[in-house]
Amino acid sequence: MSIASDILRGHTEGIILARLHQKDSYGYEINKAIQKITNHTYELKEATLYTAFRRLEENGCITSYWGNETTGARRRYYSITDTGKETLKSLQTDWLQTKTLLDRLMEENPEKETPED
Amino acid sequence: MKEKLRTHIETLFSDAPNTKKAIELKEELIQNSYDKYDDLILEGKTPEAAYNISAASIGDITYLIEDLKKDMITVREETIEKGRKRSALLVSSAVMLYIMSIIPIILLSEFGLEIQGVVLMFVLIAAATGLLIYNGMTKTSYKKKDQTIAEEFREWKSENADRIKARKAISSALWMIVVVVYLLISFWTMHWGITWIIFLIAAAIDNIIKAIFELTKK
Repeated sequence: MSIASDILRGHTEGIILARLHQKDSYGYEINKAIQKITNHTYELKEATLYTAFRRLEENGCITSYWGNETTGARRRYYSITDTGKETLKSLQTDWLQTKTLLDRLMEENPEKETPED
Repeated sequence: MKEKLRTHIETLFSDAPNTKKAIELKEELIQNSYDKYDDLILEGKTPEAAYNISAASIGDITYLIEDLKKDMITVREETIEKGRKRSALLVSSAVMLYIMSIIPIILLSEFGLEIQGVVLMFVLIAAATGLLIYNGMTKTSYKKKDQTIAEEFREWKSENADRIKARKAISSALWMIVVVVYLLISFWTMHWGITWIIFLIAAAIDNIIKAIFELTKK
């Protein structure tokens, strides 16, 4: 999984924004969701997660607030902003393009697949 | 084991600045690790294994801490820069007032209004001196940002520097006033032979002020 981890890490911000687009969430919950989606094959290091949070917050893509849990554990929730939604959309488009390109580049015989190019 | 997890994260943050942001980030990381630890225990891991997995999943936070430090430096430089600009404005206004203070005398004496000219001059000098003292007393001091001994020492030094600044401001004002009083009394009484005593008295007062500052030092 090491090659995949490297590629995934390059898209941490998109991955987080996609989670937050579903609902406001906190660090550990996001990481758990990522684990669940990837069938426990991938999880973010806390350092990676929080570096991304900071960057996203600086760019105005997310905001944060302290939740008011009754069970003692105070958690900081992150919430996607309109800028964040736009960023997510463009990241998704970028990724789709990259994916299409990679699919073709990895193909052994790309000319045959797309003769019109 | 949970305490051990907290201690581990505290150690990772030992190099971090003591800002609100850094403390919040640390608390977030600790809470995350606790959650993870609890989940791992529920999955049936031993406390040792749960601790090891939780601690390992934190990763390298050096970059995050560097970032936090950068934040603090920018804030500090901004405050210092603001203070410097304000101070420059106050000092230059004061100097301008000093220079302009003789204008009323020159102008008004043309119309035979010497007294009014002197009064105006004093008003201008008083305003300028007030500005200088205000500037000296309110210059931005080193703000307490950290609880470490080094920071406390720096703050203590800065407090002392503030006192020295205040004393110097008072002293320069005193000498200015003394010169004016000397000239005034001398012209008024025409006893130039004796009025110079004022300077000796002034020197004594200046030293008394210095002594008071020394004695009241913390």
